[in-house]
Amino acid sequence: MNAALGTAGVALALSAAVLGIATLALGLRRGDPRLLAAGQRYVWLILGGAVLAVVAMEAAFIGHDFNLKYVADNGSRETPLLYTISGMWSALEGSILLWSLILAGYLTVMVRHFRARAVDPLVAWATLTGFAVAVFFFGLMAGPANPFKVIAGAVPVDGQGPNPLLQNHPLVAFHPPILYLGFVGFTIPFAFAIAALVTGRVGEGWLVETRRWTLFAWGFLTVGIVLGAWWSYEVLGWGGYWAWDPVENASFLPWLTGTAYIHSVMVQERRGMLRVWNLSLLVSTFALTILGTFLTRSGVLDSVHAFSESSIGPALLAFFALVVGVSIALIGWRGDRLRSPGAIDSPVSREGAFLANNVAFGAFAFVVLLGTVFPLIAEAINGDRLSVGAPYFDTMTAPVGFTLLFLMAVAPALPWRKASGELLHKRLMWPAWTATFVVVACVVAGLRGLAPLTAFGLGAFAAAAALRQLVLSAQAARRQGSPVWRGLVGRANGGMVVHIGVVVIAVAFAASHAYGHRHQYRLEPGQTAHLAGHSVTYLGTTTSHHANKTTLSARVRLDGGRVYEPALHQFPNASQAIGSPSVRVGVVDDVYLTLVAAPDGDQAAAVVGVNIQPLIAWLWIGGGLMGFGTVLAAWPGRRRRPTEPSSAPAVPKLEQPETPVVDETPVAVGPHG
Amino acid sequence: MWALLALVLSGALVAGRGDSGQQSDGQRAHGIATEIRCPTCRGLSAADSDAPAAQAIRDDILRRVQAGQTHGEIQGYLVSRYGTEILLRPERHGVASLVWVLPVAALLAAVAGMALAFRRWRSRPHAPVSAADQALVDEALRQ
Repeated sequence: MNAALGTAGVALALSAAVLGIATLALGLRRGDPRLLAAGQRYVWLILGGAVLAVVAMEAAFIGHDFNLKYVADNGSRETPLLYTISGMWSALEGSILLWSLILAGYLTVMVRHFRARAVDPLVAWATLTGFAVAVFFFGLMAGPANPFKVIAGAVPVDGQGPNPLLQNHPLVAFHPPILYLGFVGFTIPFAFAIAALVTGRVGEGWLVETRRWTLFAWGFLTVGIVLGAWWSYEVLGWGGYWAWDPVENASFLPWLTGTAYIHSVMVQERRGMLRVWNLSLLVSTFALTILGTFLTRSGVLDSVHAFSESSIGPALLAFFALVVGVSIALIGWRGDRLRSPGAIDSPVSREGAFLANNVAFGAFAFVVLLGTVFPLIAEAINGDRLSVGAPYFDTMTAPVGFTLLFLMAVAPALPWRKASGELLHKRLMWPAWTATFVVVACVVAGLRGLAPLTAFGLGAFAAAAALRQLVLSAQAARRQGSPVWRGLVGRANGGMVVHIGVVVIAVAFAASHAYGHRHQYRLEPGQTAHLAGHSVTYLGTTTSHHANKTTLSARVRLDGGRVYEPALHQFPNASQAIGSPSVRVGVVDDVYLTLVAAPDGDQAAAVVGVNIQPLIAWLWIGGGLMGFGTVLAAWPGRRRRPTEPSSAPAVPKLEQPETPVVDETPVAVGPHG
Repeated sequence: MWALLALVLSGALVAGRGDSGQQSDGQRAHGIATEIRCPTCRGLSAADSDAPAAQAIRDDILRRVQAGQTHGEIQGYLVSRYGTEILLRPERHGVASLVWVLPVAALLAAVAGMALAFRRWRSRPHAPVSAADQALVDEALRQ
């Protein structure tokens, strides 16, 4: 029953997408508005099919319908409800199903949002492109990644349950959907980019239309990555949160190019320049989400997060090649229209800073991509097997990170076109002194090491610059009689909040890398170990039996206070015990306890891992700030009076009847401040 | 003002650049282990992993450090035993050197391209201002 419903849902969505494409293509060819409107209505069938398939899958999981091979592999009667529900995305086929559902949702919202302009060829082409992406993903499920395969032979009484690591922490229910909301969200701006190229309307109209869509996707990608790091920290048990693992890198790559895009796009909106570059960045971002899925799901790279392997590799690689090939061909074909007459007058200007930002993010993405795939390249060249690990990535990305922190400090102070020395002196003086003060204070407090001190100094510089902008903006809002929070919304101000979030993460990253302590102790019951000012007393163990696992917990008293219980879980479907750490989270430092080796008997010694790292909690706080800042940035700004000199539209009004107001920061610098 | 700032900042950085003094054997061993892959894990270093194989490598490194072996000797021994795959930091010669050289080359190319673009932008003559344009601007400024 569930299998039939699910298969029907996939088939419905797939055929609706194909028919939608055909109808739209015909409508575009004939210029028939009725066909165009009809073609876009197919999105409801795509959504209906996707929802039907997901409901069937969840019904099968919750109802323990082990007829379905996927449910038998990833669900079990003993698994708690939360992990039964999240079981849907605990392996490949179900992840594609989740991806498809989110894609169908995005496409539906897009069609609804632009329904008044359904006959506009730009919107029609964008919808067509979105449907083509949907054909690929629903096609995967109809073919090589079918989640509704029925088990051959006898139906098992019970299933395997999800991978033990995926039924150990509630974050597994939130991290993948949020990350996918980010990945898939870039489909919409990508679709509009393709539509702009095809229709030849390569001006700034489509950029402005998709501005909030891009921000939305970027915000979810950011929060999704941070949640992934948090999950790693809470579950994997080695005390770290970022290992430059292929799956982590695969999610980070589109973030890097996407971040470059949301910055350089401002140059295009403002000056009409960098059109080819922005299109390339956007296409790269979308293509990298596909390439990342290929790298991590096809089994070509080994990863701690790769919970499945399958035969969909060639299909993903072919789709990636298609995306890149079509985009390059279109950009080449429209080359003459993409040239812009503008010029950037001085490298010391806002435009110049955005260019430098793009070079830095480009270099960052290049290093991460090269390092991730290099083992494959080396093996292809001469059969060498080698590893590219954290030491490589840390060495290569640290200078880029410092450059980006510096740019974050300086760029908000730079005016468009050209900056004078006097202006920079005025705007940068107190942020620079803040940075100096912070470095001096750190040194006086006894912190040592060039890399962390540089990170703290540049972080303070950038944070002070961002705060300065926010304060000026809030004051300006107050002077104009608006509530103060008005000065904190809009792209520029929300962006500054995001910057502060980035600084918080950078500082926490540098501190935890430089000042962590870790050690393993063999402790008998009652024995105490000391590390970095903390004391750890091993008290004994407790065994508890749960439906889906048997847990052996060590009772460890920390600093003479609360007792923490790092544990080893034995799952029936796993040969090795899975450790789960117990963490005392603190504002200053986290104490992370693991049970490395269980004792042989009641009075025997256990091996307890103690890992003390400063400022870890600030990584998650910084991620939250970045998400919050994104919301502020997407918040509709105050409508500017059309008579204000700076409200001249970037493109002729005709091209974009629904132009949202491009909100500039109302800081007290311009003539209208 | 800026000169004073630079002076204070560089003074603080020099004072805080870290102890260049003698490292303990344990610290040296830990430093070496962070660049060695744990053979039974995926991508984790021998310093970070709790796996028995990682523990064995850590103990081995510490013994060799205490016996007076250099960083290079210990790495050479581990490579001879486990292959180059054991190194998390790729070597700087042979095919592996590409992973170090290519990003630097790409960065230099990007910076050179930018410099070229700025030169072209600078040399491009500004569009001539017609009398009508000038009048329009004057009009706007008067309002």
